[in-house]
Amino acid sequence: MAEMVKLFVNGQEVEVESGKNLIDAVSAVGIEIPHLCYHPALGADGNCRMCLVGIEDGRPPLVPACKTPAAEGMKVQLDAEHIKKIQRDVMELELINHPTDCPICDQAGECSLQDYYMKYDGQESRMTVPQVKKGKKLDFGCGVVHDQERCVVCGRCVRFTREITKTGELGIVNRTDAARVNIFPGQPLNNRYALNVVDLCPVGAMTSTDFRFKQRVWFLSKEKGICHGCSKGCNIFIDHNREKYKDEVIYRFRPRLNEEVNGYFICDEGRMTYKWENDQRLITPRANGSEAIKSAAVDSLRNAISQASKAVFLVSPSSSLEQQFAVKAFAEQAGATVLGFSDGYIKAGDGDDYLIQDDKAANRAGLALLGIDATREAFEAAMAEADLLVSFDNALGCSYDQDGLAKVLGSCTLAVIATNSDSLSEQATIAIPTASYSEYSGSIINCDNILQAFARAVVKNDPPEDIVEIVNRLGGELENNQQVWAALKKAVPTLAEVEPEQIPEQGLALTS
Amino acid sequence: MTSLDILLIIVRVAFGAFVPLCFVAVCVWMERRGAAFFQDRSGPNRANIMGFRAGGLIQNLADAVKLFFKEDIIPGHIKHKFYFVLAPMIVCVTALVSFAVVPFADTLVLGDREYVMQAIPMDIGILWFLAIAGFAVYGIILAGWSSHNKYGVLGGLRSAAQVISYEIPMGLAIISLLVVYGTVNLSEMAQFQGQLLFGFIPMWGVLLQPLGVIIFIIAAFAEANRTPFDLAEGESEIVAGYHVEYSGMKFTIFFMGEYVAMFTSSAIIVTLYFGGYQIPWFNTATLLKFAVPVALLVMAAVPVIGKFVAAWIRKNNVSHYDRENDPRVREANVYIKIVWGLVILVEAIFFLYLVFASGGAADHILVALLQVCTFLAKTTFMCFVYVWVRWTLPRFRYDQLQKLGWNILLPLSLLNIFVTSAIVVALS
Amino acid sequence: MSIKVKTIVRQGKSLQERLYLIEVFKGMAVTFRHFLRNFLDNSKLYVRHYPEVKPEITPRWRGRHRLTTHEDGSMKCVACFMCQTNCPAKCIQIEAGERTDGRTEKVPVKFDIDLLECIYCGYCVEACPKDAIRMDTGIFSVTGYKRESMLMTMDDLLATKGAFSEEEYKKGGA
Repeated sequence: MAEMVKLFVNGQEVEVESGKNLIDAVSAVGIEIPHLCYHPALGADGNCRMCLVGIEDGRPPLVPACKTPAAEGMKVQLDAEHIKKIQRDVMELELINHPTDCPICDQAGECSLQDYYMKYDGQESRMTVPQVKKGKKLDFGCGVVHDQERCVVCGRCVRFTREITKTGELGIVNRTDAARVNIFPGQPLNNRYALNVVDLCPVGAMTSTDFRFKQRVWFLSKEKGICHGCSKGCNIFIDHNREKYKDEVIYRFRPRLNEEVNGYFICDEGRMTYKWENDQRLITPRANGSEAIKSAAVDSLRNAISQASKAVFLVSPSSSLEQQFAVKAFAEQAGATVLGFSDGYIKAGDGDDYLIQDDKAANRAGLALLGIDATREAFEAAMAEADLLVSFDNALGCSYDQDGLAKVLGSCTLAVIATNSDSLSEQATIAIPTASYSEYSGSIINCDNILQAFARAVVKNDPPEDIVEIVNRLGGELENNQQVWAALKKAVPTLAEVEPEQIPEQGLALTS
Repeated sequence: MTSLDILLIIVRVAFGAFVPLCFVAVCVWMERRGAAFFQDRSGPNRANIMGFRAGGLIQNLADAVKLFFKEDIIPGHIKHKFYFVLAPMIVCVTALVSFAVVPFADTLVLGDREYVMQAIPMDIGILWFLAIAGFAVYGIILAGWSSHNKYGVLGGLRSAAQVISYEIPMGLAIISLLVVYGTVNLSEMAQFQGQLLFGFIPMWGVLLQPLGVIIFIIAAFAEANRTPFDLAEGESEIVAGYHVEYSGMKFTIFFMGEYVAMFTSSAIIVTLYFGGYQIPWFNTATLLKFAVPVALLVMAAVPVIGKFVAAWIRKNNVSHYDRENDPRVREANVYIKIVWGLVILVEAIFFLYLVFASGGAADHILVALLQVCTFLAKTTFMCFVYVWVRWTLPRFRYDQLQKLGWNILLPLSLLNIFVTSAIVVALS
Repeated sequence: MSIKVKTIVRQGKSLQERLYLIEVFKGMAVTFRHFLRNFLDNSKLYVRHYPEVKPEITPRWRGRHRLTTHEDGSMKCVACFMCQTNCPAKCIQIEAGERTDGRTEKVPVKFDIDLLECIYCGYCVEACPKDAIRMDTGIFSVTGYKRESMLMTMDDLLATKGAFSEEEYKKGGA
C-alpha cells in the first residue's frame, strides 16, 4: 500500500497516493484534469499545456499537472477563472487548424478534443485566415491511416514507437503550425503493436483501416473480455453491436488496462482475432455426415459415445478451465480417455519478450493443472486402439497435415464440437457448433500462472451452447459453471481456496 | 273470396314486408348524409354508376354488394353455431313483423267490402307491437352470449337491462293512451285522431298526451338501441358490444334489423301520437266528400313542388371546384328531367282520374293513396328525428340511463296515468 | 405566493338545465340550423374535395425525405450517422464507405429509410450537420402495394427534388 497524502482540490480535501503525478492521483478519486499528451504508459511530456492547474500559494503558481507530483497540503485549483481561461485558450489554439470534420471522423464519440470542447471550450472560432492544409489519409502501414490535419501534435504515437516498441518509425517534422507527425520516407510502421497508436491518439488523427467507417463508436456496446489469441491472456474490451434486423457482430478489440498481465496494450494479431468470432463460424450441426438439427446431432453423439468401445476425448488448450474439467469429468464417467494433445498451437520462435507468446493456446496451464496429458505419444497411443474421437474445440488440423491426420484417425469415427468451421469439422461425422469465448463465461490460466475470469460478452440471436452445457446434454453430470467449480475445488488442491466470483479484476496469481 | 280480396291481401302484405326493407336503404342514406350535413361534412358522395350518384344512394348499393360478397365467417371458438346464426335473424324478423299491425291508410271501402289497411288485420294492435318488439332483445342477448366474447356478453347484458327498464315506462305511457282512445286497435286509434278538438284542432295523441308522447319517444329510442341509449354497442368501452364477432351477411342482417326497428318504431310513434295516416283537418269522410277539389289542389301543387326540387338540384348538384365541362351539371340535367317527367306522370294520372273515374271506387283508392303518402311522409320525418337526435346528443353513461328509466320516467308515467284517468273520468 | 387558481363556473344546476329536455331542444335547434344551411346550399360545407383539390403544402411541412446534392450533383451526405442516431423510430439504416469524388473521405454506400417505420418527426433533418437530408419534397401521401416499395433506398431519396425554392425553404424556418 502506497503512502497516502492529503491535498485540496478546489478547496475540497482529498486523500491520494503520494508519488504519483496530479493527473493520476486525483483521477483515482474521480476528479478529472484534462490532458492530451500525457498517457500513463508513456509518461509526461508536457507539450499540450491542457493540464495546467493552479497551485494556491505555490511557486510557481501555475504548473502542468502531468509533471507535478502530488504533495501533502497542496491546494490545487481547477475551477478558478484563470485556469478556465487557460483551458479555453489552449482549446482554441488546438482547434485553429483542426478541420472539425467530426461527421466523418471515426474518433467522434471517444475523442478527447471533442469532449474537452464541449466541457471546457464551447466557443466559436475567431479565425478568419484560411486553415493550414496538411496531408490526409496517409497510409502509415500496419493498417494505420493518419490524418495530419486532425492531429494535435501531442506526440503520444511518436513516444509509443520510441519507448514501447523501440522501433521509432514515427517522428514530428517541422515547427509551429507546419508541425506534423510523419514516417520516414519509405519506412512505414513495422512492428507488431502498431495499432496501439490508434487507441493512444486522443483525437482522430490515427485511424485503423480495419475499423474505418464500420461503425460509429456510440453504437458499440463495450464489454470486458480476455483475448484468447495466445497464452498471455491480454485484457480487452469487446466492442460489439447488434444492428436492426441483424445479428450481433463484434467490430473490434481494444486493450484494457491490467498491470499484472498486459499493461495498456495488446498486439495486432490478438486485436484481429475478433474476426474469428464473426466469420467462418460453424453454424449447421451435422449428424451421420449430413446436416441435422442440433438436438439430433447431440443425440447421435451421445449414442456414439455409449456404443464406442474405446473413445478418446480431445480437449482444447484454449477452452476455459470449467470446460476442460467438465470434459474430463464426463470422460471418467463415460470411460473415455481424455487428452489435450495440441502441438499445433505452438509456433516456436513467434513470441517476443513483451506480450506475444509462442503458445497460441489461452489455457494450456489449465490442462497441466487438471492433469490432462497433452503429449503426442499419449494421443497416438490412445488413437491406435480408439474407435471414436471427440474433439472439444481442439484444432487438431493444426497439429497434423492432411495425410498425417488421415493416418492417425484410421477407421476411427470423428465427432467435432467446434466454434469455427475448418477442414476438421468438415470431415467429421458429427459436428456440433459451440459458443466461442466471447459468448460464454469462464476462467483461464495464462502463461504466467495468473488465473483470470471473464464474463459472457455477446449474446447472439441464436446463441450456440457452451461446451459445459453440451457435455451436460451428452450425459455429463455437471450442469453449469457453479457445479463445475464446486467439483473443481474438491479435485484440484491449488484451486481449493479460490472463489470464482472473487477472482480480482487483475487476475489471481496461482502459487504452486 | 274474390280475386279482389286476394289482390288486396297481397298488396297489404307486400306493403308491410317491403316498405320497411326499402326504408332501410333510405334510413341508412339519411343517416349518413344527414350526419354529414349536421357536422358540415358532405358524407358519401363518390360511389356512382355511369357518373350518377343519386345524391349518395349508390353508396348503399356499393356497401350492400360488399357485404353480400364478404366471406361468411363463424369464428372457431364459437360452440353454439345455431344460436349464433339465429340471433341476427331474430332481431331482423321481430322488427319486420311488429310493423305488420300498423295501419297505413283508413279502412278501404270497395263496393260492399271493407278492407283494413294493415299487413295483418287484427284487433290486438298495440299489444302485438309490445309483444313482438320485446322479443328483439332475445336476438341481442343470444348474439352476445353465443359470441363467447366478453364484450359481446357485456353488450347483451346491457341491452337486456335497458329493455327491461324502458319497457315499463313505455307500457305505462301506452296505458294512459288507451284510457284516452278507449281501444287497443291501432286502426281505431288512427281514426280517433281524425276528429277535431274544440272544432278546430286535430285531435292528435301528441295534444291529448303531451307527457305521454315524451315518455314514449324516449322509451322507443331506448328500445331501438339508438343514441343516446346505444350502450349495447358502446364502441369506446366494449368495442362493438353484442355484434363484435359478427361480420359479412350476418352483420348486415343485424344492421338491417336495427334500421327496420327504427322505421317500425317511427311508424308506431306516428300512429299513436301524430295522427297516423290522417291529413290534418281532412279526415277520410271529408276527403271523400271533396275528392275532386283535393285532386285539383294536388294537380296545382305538384308542378310548384317540382319547380322547387328542380331548382334545388340545379343549385346543389354541381362540383364546388374548378372543373371543365362539369359532369355533375350533366347529371343534374338528367335528374331535373326525371323530376319533370314524374310531375307530368302525376298530372296525367290525376287528369285521367278527373275525366274518367271521379266518384265511386276510384275516390276511395285516391284517398287511400293520399293517406299512404301522408303516413310515409310522417314516418320518414320521424326517422329523420331519430337521425337528428343521434347526431345531437351524446351517449348516456350506464347509471344515468338506469336512473332516467326508473327514477324519472317510471314515476312520470304513473303520474300521467293518474292525471289522464282523472280527466277522462271527469269529462265523461 | 399562492398558486393561481381559476375557478370554473359549474354549469347545469339551474332548473331549466336540469329538466334537460329544454336543453335537448336547444341543442337540436343548433344542429338543425347546420343541417338546413348545408342542405339548402351544399357549397357551404367545410370540405376539401380531395383528391381533386390538393391541400396547400407549406415549406415547413414534413413530407417524404430526400437526400440533397451539391450543385455538381454529388451527394451532400457524409454518412455521419447523426440521423440514424437520432431517429426515434430507428427507421434509417446507413452503411458507410470510402468517398472517391474528392470532396471528403466518407460517403454512404447504403442509405435506407423504411417509411413504414418512419414517424415523420423530422429529427433527422434537425440532426443533419450537412443539410443533406430534408423533408421538403411536399409528398404527403406515401402509398405502396408492397412492403418493399415503402423502403426508400439512396437512389430513390436522391432522385426526388425539393418542392420549394431555396429562399422559401429557408424562410420556412429551416
